[in-house]
Amino acid sequence: MRIGQVIGKTVLSVQDPACEGGRWLMVNPLDASQLNGCCEKTPSLSAQPSLIVYDNIGAGEGDIIGFSEGGEATAPFPHPIPIDALCIAIFDQIHYTAFSTN
Amino acid sequence: MIIARIVGNAIAAHCHRSLSGKTLLLCQQLGDGDVNVGAPFVAIDLFGAGLHERVLVSTDGLGARHLVEDDSSPIRMFVQGIVDETQNSQT
Repeated sequence: MRIGQVIGKTVLSVQDPACEGGRWLMVNPLDASQLNGCCEKTPSLSAQPSLIVYDNIGAGEGDIIGFSEGGEATAPFPHPIPIDALCIAIFDQIHYTAFSTN
Repeated sequence: MIIARIVGNAIAAHCHRSLSGKTLLLCQQLGDGDVNVGAPFVAIDLFGAGLHERVLVSTDGLGARHLVEDDSSPIRMFVQGIVDETQNSQT
């Protein structure tokens, strides 16, 4: 799963009925340099392209989330659902320690 | 499968049920010459890999669902083993 910051949401007027009950979050994936303290203080936007992530666990704007991509995003659902990114964790803490050989 | 280095950990109180109780490790993919490639991602670990260890990470969702014994798990990345040594004859 990748790590991203929820920066907004998308509302659809017409959608596949299989997707009802969830939200569409706009998520900006985080770079290594942004990870430390990202849960306490809102990080700036990374250069990585933002994407839309389907959410049914209740993440909101400003949350740092983990999202699963690809076919596995559909695994938790009992019915076929046309999504390829799913929010699966809302992080409380992230500890990043860069590796250096020195 | 990719070689990655453990660069930290993550804690999530609110997560999919198949993730609860699992160790969530921050991993960064290693390219040629052990240089970091791309942004860190999160993988689950059942082996007890330590900080800055090199690990083999599988991106196979079916294997991950077997590992956590949950057919409805959205997990894709998991630590498959801890790397002792790699040999690359091209570098």
